[in-house]
Amino acid sequence: MEEKRARNIRLERREILKLMAAMPGAALISAAPFVSSLAKAMPGQSARLLDPADYQPKVLDPHEWKTVRVLCDWIIPADQTSGSATQAGVPEFIDDWLEFQGGNLPAEIRGGLTWLDTECNRSFGHDFIEGTSDQQKQILDRIAFPQKAAAEDASAVAFFNHLRDLVVSGFYTSEIGIADLPYLGNEPQSEWHGCPEAVLIKLALVPAKKTA
Amino acid sequence: MPQVMSSPEAYDAIIVGSGAGGGMAAYNLTKAGAKCLMLEAGSWYDAARDSKWLEWVYHTPHRGAANPKTLIDYLSAVVGGWQVEGEPYLSAPGSEWMWFRSRMLGGRTNAWGRIALRNGPYDFKPYSRDGKGSDWPISYEDLAPYYDKTEELIGVFGSAEGLENTPDGRFLPPPAPRCYELLIQRTCKELHIPCVPSRLAILTRALNGRPACHYVSQCGRGCRLGSNFSSPAVLLFPAQLTGNLEIRCDAMAREVLIDSEGRAAGVSYIDKKSRKEVQARGNVIVLAASSCETARLLLNSRTPRFPSGLANSSGLVGKYLMDTVMSDVTGFLPTLMDLPPHNEDGVGGMHLYMPWWNYQKQQRHELPFSRGYHIEFGGGRQGMPMPGLLSGSQRFSGGGYGENLKQSCRKLYGSFVGLHGRGEMIPNEDSYCEIDDRVVDQWGIPVLKFHFKWGQDETLMARHMQEIFREIVNAAGGQVVASRGPEQQWGISHGGECIHEVGGARMGNDPKTSVLNSHCQAWDCKNLFVADGAPFVSNADKNPTLTIMALAWRTSEFIAEQVRKRNI
Repeated sequence: MEEKRARNIRLERREILKLMAAMPGAALISAAPFVSSLAKAMPGQSARLLDPADYQPKVLDPHEWKTVRVLCDWIIPADQTSGSATQAGVPEFIDDWLEFQGGNLPAEIRGGLTWLDTECNRSFGHDFIEGTSDQQKQILDRIAFPQKAAAEDASAVAFFNHLRDLVVSGFYTSEIGIADLPYLGNEPQSEWHGCPEAVLIKLALVPAKKTA
Repeated sequence: MPQVMSSPEAYDAIIVGSGAGGGMAAYNLTKAGAKCLMLEAGSWYDAARDSKWLEWVYHTPHRGAANPKTLIDYLSAVVGGWQVEGEPYLSAPGSEWMWFRSRMLGGRTNAWGRIALRNGPYDFKPYSRDGKGSDWPISYEDLAPYYDKTEELIGVFGSAEGLENTPDGRFLPPPAPRCYELLIQRTCKELHIPCVPSRLAILTRALNGRPACHYVSQCGRGCRLGSNFSSPAVLLFPAQLTGNLEIRCDAMAREVLIDSEGRAAGVSYIDKKSRKEVQARGNVIVLAASSCETARLLLNSRTPRFPSGLANSSGLVGKYLMDTVMSDVTGFLPTLMDLPPHNEDGVGGMHLYMPWWNYQKQQRHELPFSRGYHIEFGGGRQGMPMPGLLSGSQRFSGGGYGENLKQSCRKLYGSFVGLHGRGEMIPNEDSYCEIDDRVVDQWGIPVLKFHFKWGQDETLMARHMQEIFREIVNAAGGQVVASRGPEQQWGISHGGECIHEVGGARMGNDPKTSVLNSHCQAWDCKNLFVADGAPFVSNADKNPTLTIMALAWRTSEFIAEQVRKRNI
């Protein structure tokens, strides 16, 4: 249903654009505001991909999947500004990414997850996801700060750096993450004004205006 | 049913390839009244319909990331790429040539960077200046009127600067610089490196019925409104309005046909849909299939009269292949951290760039390499976030996770700048392509084998790029994030990687040392012309597309005049 609507809108947009292309040049001079309102009215072109509601992991097994979900929200939790990595669909992004990239990446990530369980079992007698919040934090603190980590944990540090990068990539390319940065583009402009004055002042590219 | 189809109609001209050169030939020849047939190996493409314009990255497969095998991403206006299924090519041992091939109407003009720089006077006479490579048979003055006309037709923004060997053009006003660009410009001023408005084929004012840019930095996706230059929107569709242009897509040219008098009689191609050969007849043949495909076509056009390929009595078809020298440095600029949020998209490319500034030093032999490069740069908050954003951030944030990580991501966002060198390669004997008869593509056409080597001039230039870029980053108060030393050959690119491959059928004044004369007409076959990058004698740091178009325009005028005079 939703997809059908999206398709209809997509068609309409094509029709509108065809119409615009057929207009004489002069009428097109200020196309940007029109384009802008058009863009706002459109939801995404495709139906939402990797919908968390019905996503089936392709690479990670059920235990790894649960572990990745927990790790994602340790890395990017919800805060006052925005939602969490799982709310942004990051676990789905990661599982899909492992399949898409292939090569050594799936083994590297799955190996890192196994390391987490092994170390948790040694310390606490159970897997990472069964640990208390304090236990999980304790193990993450061992590997999340490269400059402070012990030399013997180097490979786990590398794993966590990689996982952090994947979560950051997934989160900040999601709708929630893009608004969090915030990325303010993809917004057609009728004119380009260059660097805003507030930024010019902060960068000392223009002298700050004297207050009266 | 005959196995070879033959088109009954004979065309005034057959143009192979629909990119910058083929588009310009079609535009001019159809306007001159010639009935033209255009053969394009790829599929139909019209950015007004097919562009992934304004699509959010989170609505695309894999968040728009490049496929690790093809290196092509979902959003770019690319059909084809680094690997084309069923169309292999070979590299000789030690020659890791990368060959980007478009298989779409308009070719690479759909996704290109729109950087439209004129070659300068020195660039046409490099041998006379430093004794390396060869001179072109034409001078800057010969091509200048065609640069003028091309810029006026396609629309190029820029500014008059009067810089040495960096000719100004007929420019539309340039867009105001972005914040990080101003910061780098200030640093360059301290270092006495010119940093001026860039010159891109993007409209900042409405032109010829095309609206001005709407500044979403997505030129590479193709522009639905035609505010940037692409061959279909600006050349081919207007040419079709003359009624003189017929475009056949999915037509993979196989060889140029020769008649009993040694004239080019037409083009044989494989119709990809039926996999059958079709022979089209024409009075004039214009090859604009891209430098290497054009060389391949000539080398594959073997007959008893031309056993080593058509137009190849000099033995130089495929020779003196060139690309552009690339080397990059990424910098982290803490000054750019935590800025007030702002939209930094702008046009789909840089608003400022640094043209080469050391011509006089080189003339005095004060640098260990002979030719120039320019600097392109990008970064800040420009463009939609893509996977890979902020990767490796632990180096600047100390790592971590949780709310602190989110805060540091917000602070770090937009504080990276990449500096990209684009430099001239001097042609050499070790860089060429040839046919390998043992391997054919899926259309039964023998494939190319590449040989490629950078010379010492190029590696020393890459070293200079690394040193200068590090200096710029440091002088801007930044930290170098990624840079390359001697063990990585100063980060010099692979041959072909810049997608600026030119040469392979060079122009000249002597049939013994060139394939084409000064009008890009084959010495051996007077109704055969080349209108892509293959005629280039040198490959200045200036991106080749504008010169390809100006040259194709000049060639088209010559063809029309020769036909009028009944010389061909």
